Amino acid sequence: MRSSTALGWAAAFLAPAAISSLDALSNPPSYQLAGFLYLLAVSLAAYLGGFAAGLVATVLATLGLDFFFTPPRYDFIPANGDQGAGVALFFVVAILIAQLFERRRQVQRQAEAASARANRLQAVTARLAEAVTPQQVLDAIVTEGVEAAEARAGAIGLLTSDGETIEIVAQRGYERNILVGWEAFPLAGDTPMAKAIRDDTPFFFRSSAERDAAFPNLTRPDVPSHAVAILPLVVEGRAIGGIAFTFPTEVEFDAERRALKATLAQQAAQAIDRVRLYVAERALRQRMTFLADASELLGSSLDYESTLAQLARLAVPEMATWCSIDMVGPDGSIERLAVAHEDPDRVAWAETLGTDYPPDPDQPMGVPNVIRTMTAEFVPDITDDLLVEGVQGDERLLEIVRELGLRSAITVPLIARGRALGALSLIRDETAPRYTELDLDLASELARRAASAVDNAILYREAERRGDASRALAHVDDGVVLLDEEGAVVSVNPAAERILSVDSAAVVGETALGSIRGWSEIEDNARPSQGEARGPVTLPLVQSDGAERWVSVSGVDFGDGVVYALRDVTAERLLERTRSDFVATASHELRTPLSAVLGAVKTLRREDVAFDAEQREMLMSMIESEAERLAGIVGQILLTGQLDAGRLPLEHERFDPVELTKSVVDSAELHLPSGIELRVEADENVPAVSGDPNQLRQVLSNLVDNAIKYSPQGGDVELRLNRNGQFARIEVADCGLGIPHDEHERIFEKFYRLDPALTRGVNGTGLGLYISKELVERMNGRISVDSELGRGSTFVVEVPLAV
Amino acid sequence: MLVADDEPPIRLLCQVNLAVAGMDVIQAADGEEAIRLARSASPDLILLDLMMPRVDGWTVAEELSSDEQTRDIPIVFLTARTTPNDRRRAEKLGALGYVLKPFDPVRLAPLVTEVVERCARGEADALRQERPPELWPADLEA
Repeated sequence: MRSSTALGWAAAFLAPAAISSLDALSNPPSYQLAGFLYLLAVSLAAYLGGFAAGLVATVLATLGLDFFFTPPRYDFIPANGDQGAGVALFFVVAILIAQLFERRRQVQRQAEAASARANRLQAVTARLAEAVTPQQVLDAIVTEGVEAAEARAGAIGLLTSDGETIEIVAQRGYERNILVGWEAFPLAGDTPMAKAIRDDTPFFFRSSAERDAAFPNLTRPDVPSHAVAILPLVVEGRAIGGIAFTFPTEVEFDAERRALKATLAQQAAQAIDRVRLYVAERALRQRMTFLADASELLGSSLDYESTLAQLARLAVPEMATWCSIDMVGPDGSIERLAVAHEDPDRVAWAETLGTDYPPDPDQPMGVPNVIRTMTAEFVPDITDDLLVEGVQGDERLLEIVRELGLRSAITVPLIARGRALGALSLIRDETAPRYTELDLDLASELARRAASAVDNAILYREAERRGDASRALAHVDDGVVLLDEEGAVVSVNPAAERILSVDSAAVVGETALGSIRGWSEIEDNARPSQGEARGPVTLPLVQSDGAERWVSVSGVDFGDGVVYALRDVTAERLLERTRSDFVATASHELRTPLSAVLGAVKTLRREDVAFDAEQREMLMSMIESEAERLAGIVGQILLTGQLDAGRLPLEHERFDPVELTKSVVDSAELHLPSGIELRVEADENVPAVSGDPNQLRQVLSNLVDNAIKYSPQGGDVELRLNRNGQFARIEVADCGLGIPHDEHERIFEKFYRLDPALTRGVNGTGLGLYISKELVERMNGRISVDSELGRGSTFVVEVPLAV
Repeated sequence: MLVADDEPPIRLLCQVNLAVAGMDVIQAADGEEAIRLARSASPDLILLDLMMPRVDGWTVAEELSSDEQTRDIPIVFLTARTTPNDRRRAEKLGALGYVLKPFDPVRLAPLVTEVVERCARGEADALRQERPPELWPADLEA
């Protein structure tokens, strides 16, 4: 541009001169041709140098045409009027040509300027497109804007979310000290940017002086400053901030310059808005993703402790620098369940810190306060004052929390069913943005979901535990009845159903007194007072079928109701009664021979009388037989003890049952009472059996003794031996008292004795048949009875044949 | 004397010790036999066991007291244990003495002699009112 202008000026002087010099030719150009050449020269000068050069060239060309070529030559005065008019016409035409070229040049220059502006804006747009973070965008706007505006420095101020403060968020070119105190200033203040934003009007100050005149209170003589342009940043009719450019010199802000600044401001505003939208959208997406991930996590497992720990880890670093979860323990204490930070070392450190500084439930702020009041705590800005207040005078802790550089915190309670289960804390340090209301909403939503998940898990666990408990209770033999405070039945386990003869479904929800037969008996004897235990007491309960059942009952009041444990002790009681009967019977059984022996001895030792030999012999043999009887009873008792303890060694040998049967009969014959006829009928072909011959002899002798004993009227007692398959079958039959049908099983029970009315005073220990059965079964044999009351009995013993 | 007891050793002890005191002793092993012998032999006294096969002592006592011929024969009950009920029942049946098993056979004859002598003097009712003599088990006497 410059070089062409210089050329234009050169052409303006040289071209007319060169044409003028043509007059020295021997055949100089004609006056018309010279005029044409001069016009070319003017055109050249105007084309290259603009209107001014064209004008100069026009003057020189007109003078040259007039002097050198217009007749009379070498004279300025034209020869006639026509020639004078021709020179004047030339002048006019030349000027018109110069103007024409000037106009063209201007158009070209404008095009070039537009293209340059377009290039600059293009550069701004390109930089903005590359920018990703809000800060990058702002930096790009300032840097490129300063460049494009040909400014010395520039700055962007944005309105804060409350709309009352302007924050300088980016700058370029200003000295540090200029901006001190200008990091943020009120929108309502008397400053150019505030006013520009308020009024949505740009300010263009040609010089510092002009600005100072408009805003006298801003005068800062120490600061170098000239022209200033300040424009509002407007998006969709809404001011979001302002942009300022400071120029190194005074600047006349023409329309084009103003338009450029306005375009820059518009681009900046749109870029800022775009990035804000993008950031907001990304944050929203991030939150939604986080919430979705968190929800999925919370629903994934009933192990809420580990789920919450994972949740805390999920929150860092996007949602929080630190995330911790505290839970209320069963005793009301606050326990830190999880703490998360990107750096595992920091987590370990935080855990140690948590141990060193356990939460005080009465703490006026923080987790204990949130749990106590069930209200969220939102501290968007953690000030140092707040830290000082928070540590409650602990210098070491203050140092630690200051070191952490905590910026912003949210603590929300985990509330389910009106109860605070714990608290979720999110903390950001200075590397992350402050929390906003949006984050508080997110944290609250997260806490709500977490609390519900935890509550579900707890409920499930309780249900499962109860389920376990009731499953377990279903298997215990003791009856368990649970009543609530009002005495209504909460649960009845199967054993209790059996003992009380009730159906769980029919009594649950009803009062025990109204729905369970005999419950008043239980309440009267086993109902504990508040918080106490009572029992066990043993009570007889009359069943619906009239049978009596003995039940041992104990009750425990646990505050929310009473649990009764019931045990059916009917069998024990029966056994106990049988046992005490046995003691009575046995002592009687022992006492009778014992007193006989004692009496005989005392008699023999009488000194006041003399016995003859016969009397003496009778007494002596009585002593002998009674002592044997004693030995027999004691032997039975000892044998029972051995059988019970499983300590009775049994032989397993081959022996001849025929011989054994006969020998039993032979020894029974020796003391056979009168009126009894003992007979044997043995099949001689019965092969050898396997077992213990001595014990089998004992069994058979016992059966024969019983047969004799229970035949008080006398009669036949018969032993029969024959083969029954793989067994030798020995029957002992009598025609005595007999045994009722329903007693056929029980007579083999230990200590069991028939009703004395049925035995007509026949004594016994109640052990003989029990011992017989045990012995026979241990020989892999079997024993049974076939009898009818009053028709005698037949006991059948079968022992396996030897292989 | 009639000794009615199903236990041979008891009968033997009574028999031997009463015999050496100069008494004639007959024995019954059950209630039936006791009634039969009481009627046939008219003993001066019956030592009657309560628990006997076939016919027990109670039945024997009732049977004898309802019989004109035998109602005055003094009965001394010979028994292992007595409950207050047993005692009342025995009193109703006119018991004139109790010998509780196991008894000291040496002291049996004096008791029998006392009862027989007092009854012979017609003091049976007085004896009943006074309180019939008892022979306690040796191990309880102290």
